[in-house]
Amino acid sequence: MSTAVLNRPVTARPSRRASRRANDAVPLRLYGVRRRTVNIVTLLCALFAVFTLIPIWWIFVSSTKTVPNLNSTFGFWFAGPFVLWDNLKDVFSNDESGSFLQWMENTAIYAAAGAVGATVLSAMAGYGFARFNFRGRTALFLFIMAALLIPIAAFAVPLYLVYAKVHLDSTAPGIFIPFMVSPVSVYLMRVYAGGSVPQEMLDAARIDGAGEARIFLRVAVPLMVPALVTVFMLNFVAAWNNYFLPFIVNNSARLYTLTQGLAIWMNHTNIAGSTEDFTVLTITAGMVTITPLILMFLVLQRYWRSGLLLGGMTG
Amino acid sequence: MAQVAVGGVEQQREVRPARPETSGRTTLRRHSAFQRRRDRRGLWFVLPFIVVFVMFLVVPLIYAVYTSFFTTRLIGGTVFSGFANYTEALTSGAFWTGMGRTILFAAIQVPIMIIIAAFFAAMFDLGVSRFGGFFRTVFFLPFAVPAVVATSMWGSMLQTQVGVFPKIFADLGLPNPNFFGPGHLLGVIVLIAIWEWTGLTIIILYTALRSVPREVVESAVVDGAKLSRIVTRIKLPIIRPAIILVVIINVIGALQLFTEPYLLAPIAPNVSSNYTPTLYMYNEAFSAQFYNFAAAIAVVLALVIIIISGVFLFSQRRKGAVI
Repeated sequence: MSTAVLNRPVTARPSRRASRRANDAVPLRLYGVRRRTVNIVTLLCALFAVFTLIPIWWIFVSSTKTVPNLNSTFGFWFAGPFVLWDNLKDVFSNDESGSFLQWMENTAIYAAAGAVGATVLSAMAGYGFARFNFRGRTALFLFIMAALLIPIAAFAVPLYLVYAKVHLDSTAPGIFIPFMVSPVSVYLMRVYAGGSVPQEMLDAARIDGAGEARIFLRVAVPLMVPALVTVFMLNFVAAWNNYFLPFIVNNSARLYTLTQGLAIWMNHTNIAGSTEDFTVLTITAGMVTITPLILMFLVLQRYWRSGLLLGGMTG
Repeated sequence: MAQVAVGGVEQQREVRPARPETSGRTTLRRHSAFQRRRDRRGLWFVLPFIVVFVMFLVVPLIYAVYTSFFTTRLIGGTVFSGFANYTEALTSGAFWTGMGRTILFAAIQVPIMIIIAAFFAAMFDLGVSRFGGFFRTVFFLPFAVPAVVATSMWGSMLQTQVGVFPKIFADLGLPNPNFFGPGHLLGVIVLIAIWEWTGLTIIILYTALRSVPREVVESAVVDGAKLSRIVTRIKLPIIRPAIILVVIINVIGALQLFTEPYLLAPIAPNVSSNYTPTLYMYNEAFSAQFYNFAAAIAVVLALVIIIISGVFLFSQRRKGAVI
């Protein structure tokens, strides 16, 4: 990289810091960015970071409070007694509308099944579209992409009506199979397979007599791992966070997702004269819901932050 | 075995263009029968997705259209009623009140969010901000938070009298605003939506900006272009397809607004049963049991969204954008 930089007239002598940086941005001083601009932009970033973190900070602080303290003490700071463990115990022992642990287990199963399904189906389809020139390929691809314009809201109720006819309503497969249909993932996989699986390698494998399934599994899939991880992550998050689809097609408490259960608890908090106070319970449950995904984001940072895959969206 | 060898030789002779997947049509005639047969095998890779896609997306949509032409009466059962459901939906006003509100919502929320996201994405891309990596991580975190939890958090924080923000307002001697009154409710939903989706938009735009060749910025620098000019006149126009994509995705999302108003309804009394078209459809289907009518609303909503996205795409295409 540094030799390429040296060959260019503009950055004849890049500062050492600039060339050492992982990203190859043009050094700031070259286009007259003053220190003040840097400070102002950093300040704006900090302000937006505060806006972003406020609710997350609030939910962690609030989940440590007692019910009376929640409304009587300052919301953004802790107040004794510190009852996080009691609140957690309450969340996991409450059996209103099924149990929280059951919802969590359901959600984990749906999200994992949906995301694995979406990743497998879109990897195969993306590879098929990128590396095989079959008749009707373009039409078929455009047909799938057109589905991007169809709002989930428009097919959720019809989906429920079809489910009612074939007895898939309020069943686990009825909840997670729709998560496997992800046109965006097919698009991303096609772009990624097109760019990272060399045709020459596939042809070489064919000459060696390998079957198509074997070539896909042994040659293409290993080359597509970053895309597979990203697509899995995006679909896992989408399924984990989805509320509308399970809400419409499932009304069995045994099969509730976290979002469904939380929404029911949340409604309890607002019912006048409700004997049990669900406020802190809902807040603590919300905190438990978001923690695994936040941790996953931090662990898998290099996949989404460098945008290995989303870059394909520029087309 | 001989066939395999022939196919391989043929393949080697063929010059691969920069984007292999677009090579299709023009070179098709030169392909051997073997290669055509091999290409057909691609269908087997696409087929599993297509099967699930058709069963769980296409069939429900077709069924929605079919069932929307029927009406279920207490006496006489389900009968064909032509466009009656559509006439009722399109003329009742209940649908259009909600539709108008969500269009207003999209018209406010999407531009604000895109401007904020484009600004930060450009700053991160050019490395203007310090701690860019840290800020990108922080901005992306709301993507991990379900809309249900986001609505619950903002709802509690803004709740009249007891929420943390109304209390801060009171401490500062400011008038106590009713965030969930008729005047502010849509604003609160805009705030929640911006909080939820800006981070993902920043990451998409940032990634698009990163893929712009470095030489483009270099030559602009040689010409003496300043920061603001590089961003607004060079970088953002280059990633126009990504911006259009982000706009379309967010407009489609905004027009099917449901979760936030539905969950805020208990503390925001003026969330009516037809506050948004999706809410209207839900209530007609599950509260009133008018499934056929709800299907008609779903079809109309889908058509409105397709028309709005189509008009937007078309207007952008004429300006020379490529998608």
